[in-house]
Amino acid sequence: MRPLALWRHEIRRAGRAPVLGPPLLAGALVVITWADHPLRNLFVFLELGLPLTAGLGAAALAGRDPAAELQFTMPTAYRSTLMRRLAVIAAWTALVAVAISAVLLVADGWPGTRGPVAGQLTWLAPGLWLGAFGLLAGAALRIPAAASGIVAVLWLVEQLFGGAFQQHFVMKQLFLFATTQGAAPEEWAVNRLTLIGTAVVLGAGGWLLSGRSYQEESE
Amino acid sequence: MITAARYELRMMLRKRSLWVSLGVIVVLLAAVGSQQVREVIRQDDPKGTMLSGALLVNIFLPVAYGCLLADRLVRDHRLGVAAILDATPASPVARLTGKYLGVCAAVTAPVALAYFGFAVAYAIASGRFAALGWALAAFALVLLPAVLFVGAFALAVPLVVPAPLFRVLFVGYWFWGNSITPDTMPTLAHSIVTPIGSYPMQELLGFRIRGGETIAGPVPGAALNFLRPEATPVTAWLSIGVLLVLAALALAAASVRPRR
Repeated sequence: MRPLALWRHEIRRAGRAPVLGPPLLAGALVVITWADHPLRNLFVFLELGLPLTAGLGAAALAGRDPAAELQFTMPTAYRSTLMRRLAVIAAWTALVAVAISAVLLVADGWPGTRGPVAGQLTWLAPGLWLGAFGLLAGAALRIPAAASGIVAVLWLVEQLFGGAFQQHFVMKQLFLFATTQGAAPEEWAVNRLTLIGTAVVLGAGGWLLSGRSYQEESE
Repeated sequence: MITAARYELRMMLRKRSLWVSLGVIVVLLAAVGSQQVREVIRQDDPKGTMLSGALLVNIFLPVAYGCLLADRLVRDHRLGVAAILDATPASPVARLTGKYLGVCAAVTAPVALAYFGFAVAYAIASGRFAALGWALAAFALVLLPAVLFVGAFALAVPLVVPAPLFRVLFVGYWFWGNSITPDTMPTLAHSIVTPIGSYPMQELLGFRIRGGETIAGPVPGAALNFLRPEATPVTAWLSIGVLLVLAALALAAASVRPRR
């Protein structure tokens, strides 16, 4: 398959959720908050909404192919196929994030506390972390419904128990929503770098597990 | 209908994903929210403890079982068995109702296990066995309506949008519609259509957040206050009724819509 056709195929196989999810959620948020600070909420969406769609998209990658066993007989490793689909999700998420950032900068909605370049870590760090966690959960369970549920609840727990995360040293470094829940600038930088570092570890775990051969498994 | 419900229940209870995901989530909640769980357990009042526990369960677990149930109806078509099932004497409506009751019963099992496990452990440790009565009441009035509401929409909506996209939208809705305070942005929280059961929790069971803050009823200056009538026992029953009617409407729509 030629590269263009291959990537076109992988974009379709990555699923509609990570592609349609970000614009739909962002659009809904802007409509709901139209009368009251839509730009501020759009910035919040960068840290909350985009990592969620990336995480749920990554969690649904493994275990969805109807004949995955066949893919293990191909010269191309199945995990490479999954990584290509993950790359599609990551690229689309980044594109939406940059577009939203541009809108916020043009409309004077970008918060002054973060520069426009370093401020991209607002979505990049939690997006990478939750995406890597989703990949790991999906590869470990190979049941998209179960992996999605775990990613979703983790996201909700971090959102609603934010205070508890902020009080504990280790949990504070792994807190996904440090920007919107008001971390101090020096703590914010450490938090973002820790998230990216641990995302690499989680992603490596997901990459390793996604290479396991399929056995008889039932949902 | 009963056969479909029984079969769906047995099939779901044998699903590894049901127990694995809800088990992981309960462990995750206990670990990450250990401080909150400790605060709940330390309350002297068994009623407050059980109701706080029910609120925690009802905020988090529906997200998980909503995600799990999202493919239950569409999978009959994906697996190619829908046409065979249509050829059986059972009517489509009866099969849909049976499937709905079966999946709701199946997700109720781990929810009940987690919640009553917590209630029994608390009752034994504290010697306050009144907690079990409060747990039963909260289960019937708050947790069950949430299962029935989420179950109906998780079965019906994936007929219109793909299950993975439904999960994304459902998680977004759940956070927006239940957890955001109404003075922050227009939200369904604190209203009679809130599936975490704000009205019955507050008016039928007497739940109050520490400091006496309410979780149901009109919020001064908030949008959508027409969905937040004065919180009374009557509006609490109305809230349960509205949730069940919405669930029935979702199922009715699913039964008339030709499936993909």
